[in-house]
Amino acid sequence: MSQGTKGSGSSTGASDHGYRGSALQVMRRFGITVWCELRAETTRGSFQGLLLPRSETSDDLHLVLKLDSGYNIGIRHDTVLSLEKTGYREARYQIPEREFPRNPANPNVKLLGTGGTIASRLDYRTGAVIPAFSPGELYGSVPELADICNIETEKLFGVFSENMGHEQYQVLAEKIGQAIGNGYDGVMIGHGTDTMHHTAAALSFMVQRPPIPVVMVGSQRSSDRPSSDAARNLINAAWAAGHGPIAEVLVCMFGPTSEFYNLLHRGTRVRKMHSSVRSTFRTLGDIPVAMVEHGKVTILHEHWMPRRSDRDVLIQPHWDERVTLMYYYPGMRPDTIDSMVDCGYRGIVLAGTGLGHVNRLVYPALERASAAGVHLYMTLQTLWGFVQMHVYETGREILELGVVPLANMIPEVAFIKLSWALGLHGDDADAVRSLMTTPLAGEMTDREPHDGYLVLQGGVPEVEAFVKRVWR
Amino acid sequence: METDSYASGGWVLLLRVLSEQVYMSEHAAPVPDRGIRPPGDLNPRQDPPLDFIDRPLHQMEPSDYQVLGYISGLEVHQQLLTDSKLFCRCPAGRKATEVDAAVLRRMRPTLSELGEYDGTALMEFKTRKEVVYLLERSTVCTYEMDDAPPFHIDEAAVRVAIELALLCNMSLVSELHVMRKQYLDGSIPTGFQRTAMVGLTGSIPFRVPELGVDRELRIRQLSLEEDSCREVSDVGHRITFRTDRLGTPLTEVVTEPELLTPLELQAGGRLVARVARATRKVRRGPGAARQDVNVSVAGGRRIEIKGIHHHRGLPLLAHNEAFRQLNLLRLRAELQRRELDPSALALPDPGLPWELSDLIMDATDLLANTGHRPLRRAVERGETACAVRLPGFGGLLDHPVQPGATFVRELAERVRVIACPPHRPFLTYSDTGHADLSKRHWRQLARSLGAAAGDAVVVVWAAMDDAATAAREILTRAAEAFVGVPAETRQALRDGTTGFERILPGPDRMYPDTDTPPVPISDSVVAEVAGGRGETPWAREERYLRLGLGEVAARRLASSPWADLFDELAPAAGSPARQLSTALELRLPFHSRKHGLSRADVLPSAARLEPLVRALEQGALLPYALHPALDEALGDPDRPVGRILASYRPLSADDASPAATIQAVVSRSHLLDGKPPEVVLRWAMGEVLRPWRGRLDPHQVERALADALGARVTTAEAMT
Ligand SMILES: [Zn+2]
Repeated sequence: MSQGTKGSGSSTGASDHGYRGSALQVMRRFGITVWCELRAETTRGSFQGLLLPRSETSDDLHLVLKLDSGYNIGIRHDTVLSLEKTGYREARYQIPEREFPRNPANPNVKLLGTGGTIASRLDYRTGAVIPAFSPGELYGSVPELADICNIETEKLFGVFSENMGHEQYQVLAEKIGQAIGNGYDGVMIGHGTDTMHHTAAALSFMVQRPPIPVVMVGSQRSSDRPSSDAARNLINAAWAAGHGPIAEVLVCMFGPTSEFYNLLHRGTRVRKMHSSVRSTFRTLGDIPVAMVEHGKVTILHEHWMPRRSDRDVLIQPHWDERVTLMYYYPGMRPDTIDSMVDCGYRGIVLAGTGLGHVNRLVYPALERASAAGVHLYMTLQTLWGFVQMHVYETGREILELGVVPLANMIPEVAFIKLSWALGLHGDDADAVRSLMTTPLAGEMTDREPHDGYLVLQGGVPEVEAFVKRVWR
Repeated sequence: METDSYASGGWVLLLRVLSEQVYMSEHAAPVPDRGIRPPGDLNPRQDPPLDFIDRPLHQMEPSDYQVLGYISGLEVHQQLLTDSKLFCRCPAGRKATEVDAAVLRRMRPTLSELGEYDGTALMEFKTRKEVVYLLERSTVCTYEMDDAPPFHIDEAAVRVAIELALLCNMSLVSELHVMRKQYLDGSIPTGFQRTAMVGLTGSIPFRVPELGVDRELRIRQLSLEEDSCREVSDVGHRITFRTDRLGTPLTEVVTEPELLTPLELQAGGRLVARVARATRKVRRGPGAARQDVNVSVAGGRRIEIKGIHHHRGLPLLAHNEAFRQLNLLRLRAELQRRELDPSALALPDPGLPWELSDLIMDATDLLANTGHRPLRRAVERGETACAVRLPGFGGLLDHPVQPGATFVRELAERVRVIACPPHRPFLTYSDTGHADLSKRHWRQLARSLGAAAGDAVVVVWAAMDDAATAAREILTRAAEAFVGVPAETRQALRDGTTGFERILPGPDRMYPDTDTPPVPISDSVVAEVAGGRGETPWAREERYLRLGLGEVAARRLASSPWADLFDELAPAAGSPARQLSTALELRLPFHSRKHGLSRADVLPSAARLEPLVRALEQGALLPYALHPALDEALGDPDRPVGRILASYRPLSADDASPAATIQAVVSRSHLLDGKPPEVVLRWAMGEVLRPWRGRLDPHQVERALADALGARVTTAEAMT
């Protein structure tokens, strides 16, 4: 067994290991450094343990000791009477790393890393979770993967989900194009969950008609916990990418909060709907494309793009940053829109109320924006349903101002698509408009099935009876 | 690609075997001392008294336990009386009766802070359990189900923990660091328990005159943690939990292993419970206080017996565990005498064990037509029967280990917990008394396995991959016999014996909780808590001694549930205090029994009893009247206490003389002629005292009666 030496990063960084101010002064006074085993005499009694690094976001008043029992405790600097060094023991993190076994009978899958945590280890310095990512590390923590496919990994960025942006989308799109060209049977993208649906939408437009599955995956509950969804998500994503029949940009995350099956959501219809539950990703206004469990992909949707053996794909990694998404609220003042125009924005996606409305107060601003050549689109705060601006006079008035309705496109998806379309077609307003109103990857649908909107209401007896009968 | 190709059934099994290969490679070493246990777990003495003559608990002297090298310690878990749970605002202490929904989870081992998999985690991953949580809306939220991050730690709970640490004279930390302690048994949906160290190295006075104990009991540590789920059922690969109790704040007080007899252990448990109750902010009732007990004897190692609800059963459990260890050490000695070696039990990894080792065979076909009904049914269900040869273990499976249990139970428990066979029984073996299989079958098994006369053969049956796990576990546990006492946690069984629960976890399973910031414990909070802290049992005892109570009475009162009532009534020092403490001790339990209430429920208000105590102090209620007056005050809560006092007022000049009563009773005493004089006197006392209801001095009545009865007898004799 070859032991890896990853994780030395946890002991590097600032030389004070997160200590500063009063706490650092006490350490210096007694000649103590991080990783010293020590005996502390304090006004609250004596303590023995290993001095750990301190999180940089914590205060500068306390020293952190790891006791023999495994517990950590904090000792305030001004309680310290003396610190006596009794030893030195530097801890290192290691994920058991093994060479990822290749089986020629298994499909080859490329895993692109963005910095989200799938498998992970802990960082003493920040208390944060560090991803395990190399094939060996992955195999060490989720060995089941080796039965499913041959995985090669490439770490593209080390950013948190909220720091993902168009530069990353563009690199990802090109890397997917390369993976397709290099003959991989599937692509997986490890991603933090917060903005996974933004990236999924961007890739749905930048990578058109891929011949293989492009599956995004992450973990909603951190992978350092035994109950994490990480391993199961990864296993199911590997199945969808390596063996699955659907050649689209998909998000593969838990279906229910129970550990039963994963859902494959279309990249343009999926949205993170809860800050913390495992079942946070939902397909809106439609049903998910498929379920995955126990190595089986069960198709749910009647329309999906099948896997192909050719290597044809259209990669268009374009972007225009001068697009914004404005969430309308009653009493919104026109200067909010004027200021966007003044700042040089070229596209505004509005998330309007009801069927796609804003109040009359902002009409003059919309008129000015339209006259200045700014692209204006209407989506819905309700998230579910279609923009319908002909029903009420308000809507008709807004249409006349040059605001274009975007059917049932999710606001974030419309923002992504407009940024992409403007990047692609520059100043050709007609081409942008034509692109925006033509569905490319399911971002707008012709119809909403009755089960495209299912938010069950708790407390209702029949719903409670259903919940009781079916695992959540 | 065809849809069919991903539906292949075989990969699940492959996956399991592979997982075990990765996770279990260290685990499968032939000698199971995997280096994950700190050496501190070994008993300091390594010379087991193998020739000690076994005796039942009640025949053991403290010196006997000294010969055994017995040491024990406690981990006392005490639920705190707070409004809400520790890390969410669900109500604490509410018991669920309904099931509104259920959630299913599985647990995987994760890396500890120091980058190693923990031994317990490995074992529990091996069991591959589905964990089902039953939810009732009013008692649990998304936090406990690990579907939301923790909320701020409950301040009230932190304060109770600080108070308890102060009462135990502990060194307080300056900052709480919430840690995650891994539990993969499913008892906590996150897979870890959030816990924080509050205090270290304390001590409490430990005086138990009847055990000859008068010393300090050292407390190693006190932590504040969230309670786990209540187990509902555990069948095969599915374990089901209730979640109402989950997240309730509790303190864990760990003593040093310095309790030197099972009775000391019990006394220690009671003492720690009393100290916790001194805060007046702990929960009472079933399950609110539970202890884990650590026991070892010379040559053995720390074994943890988990979740004991009552102090009553502690001594027998500890005693039986001491002898279980001694018996396992005797077994080890016998293995050494037979010059056996654990390497003979080694099994390569991974794969189906019967394809890898001569020690194991798939005996399903051979035993398909057995007359042993459980096995035949298993084969009919499609299960696999495998036979395991334990070289040189002939006769040792019947080696006694616990009362009514032999070494084969140690093997069976491992199989039950780790391989999870859903039906019982699931094994049989070749040693004496097991005629489950025919002689012909045993002969055929022995021949197929190459078993010699000195070998033992175990047959185990379960679904195929469970049978594979079972066969491996049998070899593993048999190999552990060579180290004597394997590190385990055990569960207390009703008969005072214990059963295997899991491998004892090490400190590796702790890592920091990244979801919660450190919580500073400021000097001002400590001062505030110290200012309002409860009175320790020993301080109370001191105070009662100063009130004039005897030593035994003072101790009993201090640990009684009515000690607060006594303090509120504030009797004068001397005889009123003594009389009140005796009266409460005798009458309150009587009334609680009579009404089927717990002792705490039956406590009257101080206001109701106060006039009695004041009257007692002023001589307006004679000591003899206190008990009946108390009975009336308790038994008839609507009766004004003034009326009760009036009916018990001492005799005054206006009262009719008791002499008439005495005379009338004496005149009726001829009915008892022929009975011994003391019987007649006792009857007459009752007859006289009853109508006067405590208003007479019994001693005076006795003297008067003795005289009068004596006179009657003398007269009667003279007449005949
Ligand atoms: Zn809750």
